[in-house]
Amino acid sequence: MKQYAYYQSCINESMTREVDRSIELWQHDLGIEMVKLHESTCCGGSNLDYVSPKHFALVNARNIAAAEKMGLDLVVSCNTCLMTIRSAKKKLDESEALRNEVNEILGKEGLEYRGTSDVRHLLWVLIDDVGLDAIRGKVKVPLSKLRIAPFYGCHILRPSSVLGKDNPMEPTSLDQLLDALGGKTINYDHKNRCCGFHTLLVAEEESLNVAAEALQEAIDEKADCIVTPCPLCHTVLDGYQAKALKKSGSHGSIPVYHLSEVVGLALGYNERQLGIRRHIVT
Amino acid sequence: MSDSVIHQKEESREVTFRVHRFNPQVDSKPYFDDYKIRLEKGITVLRALNYIKEHVDASLTFRAFCQAGICGSCAMRINNMSKLACTTQVWDELAKSREPDVIKVEPLRNLPLIKDLVVEMDPLVEKMKGYSNWVESRIPEDEWGRKEFLVSEEEFLKYDKATDCILCASCVSECTILRANKEYVSPAVLLKSYRMNVDGRDSFHEQRLAGLVKDHGVWDCTHCYRCQESCVKHIPIMDAIHGIREDAIAERGTRDTSGARHAEAFMEDIEKKGKLVEATLPIRTNGVVWTMKNLLPMAFKMVLKGRTPPPPQLVKSTKDIEKFREEFKEMTGHVAKDHAKKTGE
Repeated sequence: MKQYAYYQSCINESMTREVDRSIELWQHDLGIEMVKLHESTCCGGSNLDYVSPKHFALVNARNIAAAEKMGLDLVVSCNTCLMTIRSAKKKLDESEALRNEVNEILGKEGLEYRGTSDVRHLLWVLIDDVGLDAIRGKVKVPLSKLRIAPFYGCHILRPSSVLGKDNPMEPTSLDQLLDALGGKTINYDHKNRCCGFHTLLVAEEESLNVAAEALQEAIDEKADCIVTPCPLCHTVLDGYQAKALKKSGSHGSIPVYHLSEVVGLALGYNERQLGIRRHIVT
Repeated sequence: MSDSVIHQKEESREVTFRVHRFNPQVDSKPYFDDYKIRLEKGITVLRALNYIKEHVDASLTFRAFCQAGICGSCAMRINNMSKLACTTQVWDELAKSREPDVIKVEPLRNLPLIKDLVVEMDPLVEKMKGYSNWVESRIPEDEWGRKEFLVSEEEFLKYDKATDCILCASCVSECTILRANKEYVSPAVLLKSYRMNVDGRDSFHEQRLAGLVKDHGVWDCTHCYRCQESCVKHIPIMDAIHGIREDAIAERGTRDTSGARHAEAFMEDIEKKGKLVEATLPIRTNGVVWTMKNLLPMAFKMVLKGRTPPPPQLVKSTKDIEKFREEFKEMTGHVAKDHAKKTGE
């Protein structure tokens, strides 16, 4: 059983609790175990970095150092947490002065940022560690009836200088995983585009336009559902779906699944077990 | 396949350019023309378009000038990405094409279309003017020519990368928010404003910043990083956007805009609780009235599905959060020292 330090994203502890719940269900089936990092704190959600760059470095050095203390890689299942923590790691790895300053403070808690743990998305762990062939071999209920619109979300792709795993404008990783689960994915413009989450409370109209356009393209392409590896994208595309589509004058609707849920469905778990009934669009 | 065939395939190929066409004087809507031409390896998209114009279809219209990635005139969308035609190799694009041997060429997005691959740049120029994106000298006009500015290397490094911008508008074309609202300031304008605001010779910083925090300004950016990813000069545009935000909070505080209040809420929650309390974020960003008006019906649905409060489990043990708070406070001390050092200089 390969272990990982699992970063608990704020949103997965409140609005999208079904993400962690579904991972817990199937993790051992795939030979992996996510050990929750209870002492971790909010990553700053792509905001703290400009409010206070030094606090941003401290908070995330501490999150990573807690994983390093366990000798494990840090795994996250929220795109923005991934991008945010990785960008802090990049800054820390590039600056000895910043590392020293942060470690002087963390030392009092018995923690030290050394840069030994990688920070990875659950999707990357599934592809690179578990392996697509192994996943294919474990599938009990192939997603073959579903025509899926993969929605990557920005912060698993961009900035590529921080993420660097997939092509930031022509990504394939999620398509590969969905293919291994037996699903058929569609190629559409919005698969690499933005959901609008980060401006929902600041420029709501613009955010809803962004979300509506993505949803409408998936509907027009006759997708049965959208699958995303990011709970923030899910919150907009599912929770705000009715509001966004009403505003754009559309009458359609489309279910949106978390990556962790479709893995669970393919491994034989049902909608109730996976928490899919908690979605707004069902 | 013999070696000579492989060799031939690598050195010369038949390529289809699927080019966006639109002449407002005769066409009711845009369409695509396919031009199939044999090309040698090493040729750029711009040279291929020039070949088409010279030998196949003289009516094809596009803008180009320097052919060396300096003037920015030939920015267009090539295989779904805004870039310069003159620095884009056909062979590189063929490797990325969704349809084998087909390269799609379209005009930039988010700017009014004039014809085929040519867009109107005036809206971008007008926005540049709107934010006074030039150096307003600190030296009074009557002293011009008699005094000079000395710019230190440290100061120059703050805007060195931003000065690489050639105003090609690739970032403008890829911007998510501009696509949703044409009033939005746009990444190229924010980059230029940042560049002017950190220039020690400039005297317009305060007024420019006041304009940037207004509606459709710096707080509307949704952090999608498409601008940065499409920048033909690899300028970290998001660093500039975040730089303006950092400056806005430092100079204007966190209470004057919803964007600043939203950002500050993250800092507050982390400091006090370790975790973000999303349930109250709308109220802290936009107030009770806005939240009731805009989010109540949706919040009701979410509560029915168990999606809203209880708030997240905060950092587990009291011991942990207390230690964390002490660390956070200690860093606040460091930041205050940095600030004092900076202002003392």
